[in-house]
Amino acid sequence: MSDSGFAVRLQGVTKRFGKHTAVEDFDLDIPRGVICGLLGPNGSGKTTSIRMIMGILNPDEGVVSLFDSDPDTTRRTRVGYLPEERGVYKKMKCLELVTFLAEIRGIRRAEGRKRGLAWLERLGLPEWADKRVEDLSKGMQQKIQFIGTVIHEPDLLILDEPFSGLDPINQDVLEGIVRDFHSKGTTILFSTHLMDQAERLCERVCLISRARKVLDADLKALKAAERKGVVAVEFEGPDTWLHGPEIERVEGRNGSLRLLLRDGADHQAILRRAVQARATILRFDLVEPRLHEIFVRHAGAGAVGDSGMPRHATWGGA
Amino acid sequence: MWINVWAVIRREYLQRVRSRWFIAATVGGPLIMAAMLILPQYFAVRSGSADRHLAVVDGTGVLYERVAPELTSGGWTVTEQRWHSDVVTELRERAEIGEIGGFVMLDELTLESGEAILYASSSPSPVRQLTLRSAIARAALEYQLEQTGVDVEAMLDGGGLRVELLSGEGSDPDDAQFFVAYAGAFFLYMVLLLYAVSVMRATLEEKTSRVVEVIISAMKPWHLMLGKIIGVGAVGLTQMAVWFGAAMLLFVSVLPMLIAARPELADLGELREVLPGAGLAGLFVGLFVFGYFMYSGLYAAVGAMCNTDEEAQQAQFPLIMLLVVPILMVMNVIQEPMTPLATGLSLFPLFTPILMWGRVAGGGVPAWQIVLSFVLMAVATVAIAWVAGRIYKVGILMSGKRPTLPELWRWIREG
Repeated sequence: MSDSGFAVRLQGVTKRFGKHTAVEDFDLDIPRGVICGLLGPNGSGKTTSIRMIMGILNPDEGVVSLFDSDPDTTRRTRVGYLPEERGVYKKMKCLELVTFLAEIRGIRRAEGRKRGLAWLERLGLPEWADKRVEDLSKGMQQKIQFIGTVIHEPDLLILDEPFSGLDPINQDVLEGIVRDFHSKGTTILFSTHLMDQAERLCERVCLISRARKVLDADLKALKAAERKGVVAVEFEGPDTWLHGPEIERVEGRNGSLRLLLRDGADHQAILRRAVQARATILRFDLVEPRLHEIFVRHAGAGAVGDSGMPRHATWGGA
Repeated sequence: MWINVWAVIRREYLQRVRSRWFIAATVGGPLIMAAMLILPQYFAVRSGSADRHLAVVDGTGVLYERVAPELTSGGWTVTEQRWHSDVVTELRERAEIGEIGGFVMLDELTLESGEAILYASSSPSPVRQLTLRSAIARAALEYQLEQTGVDVEAMLDGGGLRVELLSGEGSDPDDAQFFVAYAGAFFLYMVLLLYAVSVMRATLEEKTSRVVEVIISAMKPWHLMLGKIIGVGAVGLTQMAVWFGAAMLLFVSVLPMLIAARPELADLGELREVLPGAGLAGLFVGLFVFGYFMYSGLYAAVGAMCNTDEEAQQAQFPLIMLLVVPILMVMNVIQEPMTPLATGLSLFPLFTPILMWGRVAGGGVPAWQIVLSFVLMAVATVAIAWVAGRIYKVGILMSGKRPTLPELWRWIREG
């Protein structure tokens, strides 16, 4: 295979479970060194896609390749994987466990131990090194498992919902580590339903909904292209002017709103209607759309759930 | 890339060997065994030292010298007491102050009918009464027969029957050899089941706790299975080595010391007869190792195809049958080791560990059959590893319902 420069490449990948199609005709190219977010509601096919990338499921159709080479050997040495359903040997001591996870990746025990200690230190768990994993809280166990994911310093990190189950402080710690790996040139693919996180971290996003990819683009370019689509408004007085053909959705309450416009809509028309309705306009800005809003525009509100979703909400069961 | 298999072996071994369960079973096993062998004897002999002191009043003048050695080896201390008119009163007083446990009166009637009177502070146990009775009756009989010129020793020992076998040997349920064959077969059954099931449970636990997804992303399923089987097997060998070492220690050094210190426990020395020799011990380990590889492979596959303990309980049923059938037959096989049926069944690899042990430990089996059985087990081990490895590879990452037989067949074909 020639060198394409892609760390992960999916070509026409499809997976069915009985009559249910979990992932359909999925193409994905992640260039080396990029942080890519895999976004979508629950049940949209994120985890199935990741498990196919990790070789845990075999696609019914299509091809998976990693670093342009045989995925089997690449996975074992160059990839770190954090599964969605966490699993650790609960009876083992923390340091033993992370050392073991390094060893099965081919790292010698002494070296694994050294790295394990350094990581425990970094994640604020040094005093837990000789405690059994089962004595740790769930969040701490997750940190231990994260250490096991990165201890062999992989070239590609595949993280399935890495931030779920962590408090905000630890989410920040983890985010920092992910950034560190990124700055060292590691390619990172992570799935999440936390839009904020994706927006802060990702250079590239891939949105999937109902087993299909709906968007796959560079986040900056995407936002620039979608710039005309959202207007932030503050006003006093009547709100009848908010109903119009240009406006697809209105979000927010108490006089501070974000209007999501339809493609090619004229925002000036909205402004004129507001003035006619004798509303007092305090603010009328074309703003950068949020990822969430972009997703809604592309996947349709039905894919996301209820309409009045606050900014920090996660996507509920779809 | 064997570093990762080694890591799995090491983890599996250390986690198990350091567990409280292992330490309790490994140390406690021999202790309980030793206690079961030694304590009953010890207590039987020990019950009150004064009780064991008997005075013998011999009115015949010929019985004491014959009765005394019998009673001494039966755990009594005996002293002869001369007959005089107040002897009963005197001995009664000595018994009351606890100097002696009691006294036996032997007279002319004893010589004729074997009857005697025991005066005792407390009623001796039935076993002791029997010992005493038979010692006295025997002494009387011996004396009477000697008068007629009979070789009393030989006759009283029950005569003798020399058996010249016309075909292959067998072993009768009374022999120490039979005990070794049967107990060994049963022990093999237990350890094979114990450790093979351990492999199944470990596999199942990895699967249900989802650890396996991470492990499999780092190593081939086949390597994980191999590491697991070797690790658990090493635990089994360790445990048996400890048990065997403890048994050797018990028989070679503890028992002789015990017998030297308390001669009345001399009967325990007979236990040494059941100790298998080096050849048999080697055979035992060989049968365990091959049997373990075959059964643990099968059990690993069962663990991989199930999702819950309940499912695994059901799915392992055919495997348990494979172990139970030879255990049911082993009694007959030990008694008649050379019938075509016994020979044939013992060469079927999955039955070999238990049945071949029974045959070899119970009687002579031609060496070529033993060699053949090991070759067949080696072939079976490779075949099972191949099939089980394929089932394991697919099953370990599979969730949902247990596969049907046609599905299993597809896993094996496509694996």
